[in-house]
Amino acid sequence: MRRKLFFAGSIVALSLALAAVVILHPTRAKSEDTQTASMEVHVDNFTFGPDTLTVPANSTVTWINKDDVPHVIASNDGLFKSKALDTDDKYSYTFTKAGTYAYYCSIHPKMVGKIVVQ
Amino acid sequence: MVNPFDLRTILLAKHAQHVVLIHFPIALFITGVGLDLLSRGKRTSQLAGAAYLNLSIAAATVIPAALTGLLAWQFALDGKRLKGLLLLHVIAASIAALLVIASWWLHWRTRRAEPLLLPDFRIPIELLGVVAIGLAAHLGGFLSGVNT
Repeated sequence: MRRKLFFAGSIVALSLALAAVVILHPTRAKSEDTQTASMEVHVDNFTFGPDTLTVPANSTVTWINKDDVPHVIASNDGLFKSKALDTDDKYSYTFTKAGTYAYYCSIHPKMVGKIVVQ
Repeated sequence: MVNPFDLRTILLAKHAQHVVLIHFPIALFITGVGLDLLSRGKRTSQLAGAAYLNLSIAAATVIPAALTGLLAWQFALDGKRLKGLLLLHVIAASIAALLVIASWWLHWRTRRAEPLLLPDFRIPIELLGVVAIGLAAHLGGFLSGVNT
């Protein structure tokens, strides 16, 4: 009797564990994160990473400030400009036309980057 | 890339004035305090005269430097809530500005009065001012990215 109970309990526990792994393991979400990550520019240590990002037309690029100081993302030709971004603040802009869009930080002009829209 | 020789950029860039002007009160105040310490408080010595001149110009230039800092906060940073390094910088800079003006005022008051010796309590005020201005400058360097 005890053996049967132990065996049944083990099967139930194993089933629950397997279910938890399948449900909680984000296999599909991971690929979406990867796709999203390629449209992000991280601002860290006074540099844009990557400094040149190539995206298809109608893509939304998101800048995320990972620095301890504020930054302002501004395009060279006045096409877009963010508000002052604190640490972990984000700014997004959708590029609809193909071309090369140079931008910089208006507070720290030595920080430059480029978005290439294909 | 912004053209560094473009006049509009130089004169109208929303934060550039503060970064340029702040060097004057920093250098003049530290020099003035150094000269004052060397003068040993003798109001009539040439060193004391040089110290007073430096402290006077430091006190005069600290005002536009502080004003441009406030303008940079308002226009370049959209008046965002102060926090982190920026908050520490503003606190240190405010204390430094007050101590710079207080140091000058002590010297100015003594020169108008009879005593030949400057008051001894000016030394801790001046030294504290040097510490505060040094801290504000150090944090300002991080905020401007020159330390990277």
